[in-house]
Amino acid sequence: MTKRNVLFFALILLCIGANAQTIFNEEISMPEGFVPEEIVLPPSPLTTQVLFVGGTDMVQTTATYGNAAGETPAKEWHDFIGFTPDETNESLGWISINHERITADDMIGDGGGMTVFKVARANDGTLEILDQTLEDGRSGQFFNVDFVNTVGETGMNCGGISSGVDGRIWTAEEWFRTSNASINGSATEEYPNGSGVRDTADFVVSSDIAGWNGRTLEKYENFNYMVEIDPREAKAIRKQYNWGRQPFEGGAIAPDNRIVYLGPDSTPGFFGMFVANTPGDFTKGTLFAYKHDKPGWKWVPIWEDGSMLAHSDFAVAKGATMFNRIEWVALDPADNFVYFTATGRDNPGSRWADEDEDGAVHNPNSMARAQAQGVSSPNDADYTDYYGRIWKYDPRTSECTVLLEGGPFFADSPAEADYPEKHLSNPDGLSIMQIDGQSFLVIQEDLNGTTNGRVPAGVSNRTCELYLLNLSIENPTIDDLIRLTAVPRGAEVTGSIQTPDGNTLLVNVQHPSSDNPFPYNHSLTFAIHGFNTIDLDEETFNNPFAFNIAEDTAVDESKEEFSVYPNPTTRTIFMNQATDVALFDANGKRVLVQRNVTQIDVSRLAKGTYYIQNAAGTVKKLIVQ
Amino acid sequence: MKNKLIVCCFLLVAFILLNGFQPKDKATQALEQVKQQFQNGMSTVVTSIEALEQVAINFQNTPYDIEVLQQAIINTRLDYKKIEYFHAYFDEESILQSINGAPIPKLEKYIPEVVTIQPSGLQVLDEIIFSDDPFQQKEEIIELVKKLKTNYQDVQRYQSAIKITHRHVFESIRQGFIRVFTLGLTGFDTPGSVNAIAEAKASLQGAYEAYKAYTPLVTEKSVGLAIVLDAHIESTLKYLNDHQDFETFDRLHFLKKFLDPQYQLFYELHKELSVEFTEEVNDLPTAVNYHSTSIFAADFLNAGYYANMDMSDPLMDDRIELGRLLFFDPILSSNNERACASCHQPEKAFTDGLVKSTATDFKGTVKRNSPTLVNSVYSDKYFWDLRENRLDKQMLHVIKNKHEFNTDYIQIIDKLKQSSVYDSLFMEAYPTLKNYTLSTHTISNALAAYVTSLTDFNSPFDQYVRGEIATIDPSVIRGFNLFMGKAVCGTCHFAPVFNGTVPPFYKESESEVLAVPMANDTINVMPDTDLGRHANQLPTDKADIYKHSFKTVTVRNAALTAPYMHNGVYNTLEEVVDFYNRGGGAGMGWKLAHQTLPFDNLELTTDEQADIVAFLESLTGDMSTFTVPDRLPIFENKPEWNDRVIGGQY
Repeated sequence: MTKRNVLFFALILLCIGANAQTIFNEEISMPEGFVPEEIVLPPSPLTTQVLFVGGTDMVQTTATYGNAAGETPAKEWHDFIGFTPDETNESLGWISINHERITADDMIGDGGGMTVFKVARANDGTLEILDQTLEDGRSGQFFNVDFVNTVGETGMNCGGISSGVDGRIWTAEEWFRTSNASINGSATEEYPNGSGVRDTADFVVSSDIAGWNGRTLEKYENFNYMVEIDPREAKAIRKQYNWGRQPFEGGAIAPDNRIVYLGPDSTPGFFGMFVANTPGDFTKGTLFAYKHDKPGWKWVPIWEDGSMLAHSDFAVAKGATMFNRIEWVALDPADNFVYFTATGRDNPGSRWADEDEDGAVHNPNSMARAQAQGVSSPNDADYTDYYGRIWKYDPRTSECTVLLEGGPFFADSPAEADYPEKHLSNPDGLSIMQIDGQSFLVIQEDLNGTTNGRVPAGVSNRTCELYLLNLSIENPTIDDLIRLTAVPRGAEVTGSIQTPDGNTLLVNVQHPSSDNPFPYNHSLTFAIHGFNTIDLDEETFNNPFAFNIAEDTAVDESKEEFSVYPNPTTRTIFMNQATDVALFDANGKRVLVQRNVTQIDVSRLAKGTYYIQNAAGTVKKLIVQ
Repeated sequence: MKNKLIVCCFLLVAFILLNGFQPKDKATQALEQVKQQFQNGMSTVVTSIEALEQVAINFQNTPYDIEVLQQAIINTRLDYKKIEYFHAYFDEESILQSINGAPIPKLEKYIPEVVTIQPSGLQVLDEIIFSDDPFQQKEEIIELVKKLKTNYQDVQRYQSAIKITHRHVFESIRQGFIRVFTLGLTGFDTPGSVNAIAEAKASLQGAYEAYKAYTPLVTEKSVGLAIVLDAHIESTLKYLNDHQDFETFDRLHFLKKFLDPQYQLFYELHKELSVEFTEEVNDLPTAVNYHSTSIFAADFLNAGYYANMDMSDPLMDDRIELGRLLFFDPILSSNNERACASCHQPEKAFTDGLVKSTATDFKGTVKRNSPTLVNSVYSDKYFWDLRENRLDKQMLHVIKNKHEFNTDYIQIIDKLKQSSVYDSLFMEAYPTLKNYTLSTHTISNALAAYVTSLTDFNSPFDQYVRGEIATIDPSVIRGFNLFMGKAVCGTCHFAPVFNGTVPPFYKESESEVLAVPMANDTINVMPDTDLGRHANQLPTDKADIYKHSFKTVTVRNAALTAPYMHNGVYNTLEEVVDFYNRGGGAGMGWKLAHQTLPFDNLELTTDEQADIVAFLESLTGDMSTFTVPDRLPIFENKPEWNDRVIGGQY
């Protein structure tokens, strides 16, 4: 007892020293009879289910290049994911997956590609992949989308559009092509005529878009469009020649079914809009580019002869606003606000200086950043944009503003004890999901590098996170991000979409580079179920999705005692103080140490008993269920 | 809020543990000191860059004393070297991009187009300022210095804000030892000044200074360890004072006597202080196994990191064994005659002794020379043209190739399913995969597991470095010192694998443009037409700098892997060394725009060339540990398949 008192005083003395770094013993040993407070981390209400594994699951193919219809391993590099609800209610609907890359394939067809499949909600709440027989006679579960025999090959199918109105699907052809050689790929021993798109003969367009039917294009000019597909029959419908030839990544359709917002991934990238003459008929209408400094309605039409094939030149000439690599576009059906990611590029200066010269204008954010960095303009070679940002477009005012700047900018964001748990770099994939009636942005990182805090100090692996952001938060900061830990290590989450019944988030991941067990070491599509169980009104620490979560988990230094609050959904232990903390396993062996944090991620911990100790030496027992 | 209060009410009074802590004051003080050293170090570097800038401006105005400029870059580099171990540990990518990267163009990463970035930073400045006529490039020099200043201040701004922890200190110091050995002492860092030994000393002094901050704590924990470390530090610095000549510096002695023992001692120190290890902070695998205690230990690198496999999985042995059967089984090929082992034979270190491997049906050859598979796992890209970045997908290229297996996974699965033996082996190795038990995944995973197991760090040279054998032929020692010094082999074939995987992180594999000719003829040089990496079908590699660029493969077991180079043009190691000695293709008159190999003649004497060959020969491991299966699984209903030849007929 006396000993204990001595130590108690010692503790008080130790607490006085600021920034002290506790060295925890490798083993914890507790006095006999000591009973620490027990904290229980219940099982996560979220469960995961694997749906479709690239390179391993087989897809049904059509007769292509003279080869008979058949079956072959699916392409990989999963990117965009779209969902088409089944209006007959016989099933939940169809899932469409992009394969981002250009490869030759005798069965699937050259170029990029897509896979579609149909799912139903099983009794146990999981998704069941349904057997289908299509009009063209193919039977099976996974179907390759036929581009070759319909609209011509596609390439680098990155993002796309999943219409919130009626589930129509477009795939986006990124990576701008400038010659037939660039689509053909190099000759290899497997493919002596090119390992990309082998047929580079001139392409004769067959299309219901006015002015395009019968036109002859050089083959590469038939790439870099938004391409509509029919997920029910696994075939392409049309390339949207009338939306311009651009390095497309993402897009969104407004509820009026007339307006399409478009995002091209380039520096400069021009935020675009297509307005259909008739709702639902996207073969006729007008294309616009965004120009923030235009008085009144901030859009300029791109409708000159030849402007579709040379879209960028015309946007420049009309003084459109330049963004740094626009990626995905998402529309919140609750209020029609449009969000888009500008993923950024470290040193974009030389990439948009010419366009600036020729008439295009810099967005105000880039100008302000250049000024803050002390460089003459965003064209300066020393201008940097490491982290990218998320923009918000207000359709009522046609104003674009920055919703959330990426970064760690340590001086002001995030809060010191929130890093590295919270940081945002190079946001790429973007979708909207509803949780308990509230809109959340689903944000996926795709790092352009590991420099400047894009990965935590002392980590050199490229790690991309998936975050949720409650859209009711005014002027959100990085501290408001909620990290979803249910994704494979080392993976880039490329696409996500919520099922119409709200319970499931469908997620695509690309090239996971860690030692995850199969199939989490492949490009794959998986489902996270259980979002319908989340109640936003439940104001507890157990609810990271609550409105005022940021305040709820705020550090409360006034409370002397060390308190911890486990969150089963995000697999996080929140603490009431910023502290060094160590976790010991049931045998007392130290297994985890974090420094100066208010939360720890325990998502990778096996079920069992642990002890948690803070810098002051307080110990609590943690049961992970 | 109510709930929160209720939770708080139930909290028990904090319990103070009797033995929870180390003496914290000393630890915290040490860390504060190290942080201060780092901050001061950065300020010093900024001052030296500013001084360099002034000298460069003067140099531009008038023909100025070149030695003043040379001294200024030397000083800047020395100041930088003292804290480089921190800089590069925290943000290697920034350092390579703009502070101290190699003086060759690179590609911008993670963008949907090919953009070449010209090199800048301290190495480029070192090369230009010590070139034959720096005055010609006086404007470029000042531009580079200005850029360096901007970029360095950027690094300083960001790294000043990093929350340094104890773990970072020890991890960065140990990583610094690897850097000194592989990049510093080899002259990689100092292409112009070759001021490598002085820089190595500055690097170590910086690390030792950080250690000194911890001395009071170490002394308290273990007087013995403190005494040993102090003695080591003193004798290391003395050795570096006494041996300053780049060409005669005995790198092998320095490794064995100083660096490698300290690599171990600082690990013991980290452990002794009970400071947490990297895996306790995040569970991402790393290429370097931090717990390994020698740079030449078999477990120095994590093979599983490269193969994306958890090698501690209890099923790994079953998978490797299954992969071994598949490797030697010609059933994988369309004609049941070709196996992986056809071109990769164990006794030849998994090569085939041919200029280029024989094609299917003996019609000609495949495109390139068969590379060794031993230690091939330690790479982030596979094939001579680096076209595949995952080991388990490497097989697909072979399977589809009309000149190799000429088949596809569907046919292979169909065949393997007809053997109950294979069926049960897959079941045992992959018991939980349900309908994926015999699938594209498991076949490629088992083969990749086997290739991952083909590692060897037990050559006579390894044993000598580790002190397991007492002596080795003096020619080997001379050869190693040439390899790592005058002959500049070690600046591309990085120790300890001696391949192109770049230390000290060992995450990225390099390729080089050597201008290897088509034929073994030094007079009438015939250009080779193979574009290599440029033509590897990856859009991200379609850059001019990758024309004729090929993977830097390991030189371990080279004595067994003749003929050499991607096209098998050289029959002996002597010929290979002669090629490099002449300055590659450029030295023989075939000028390629982006040759990365130094053009100059290395001026190696005949004896020196023989020493290098002796060193290469000492890197030969024991191939008898890689055994051929006694028999292959039988196919009950396909008796004609059961006559197939183990390892194939090619």
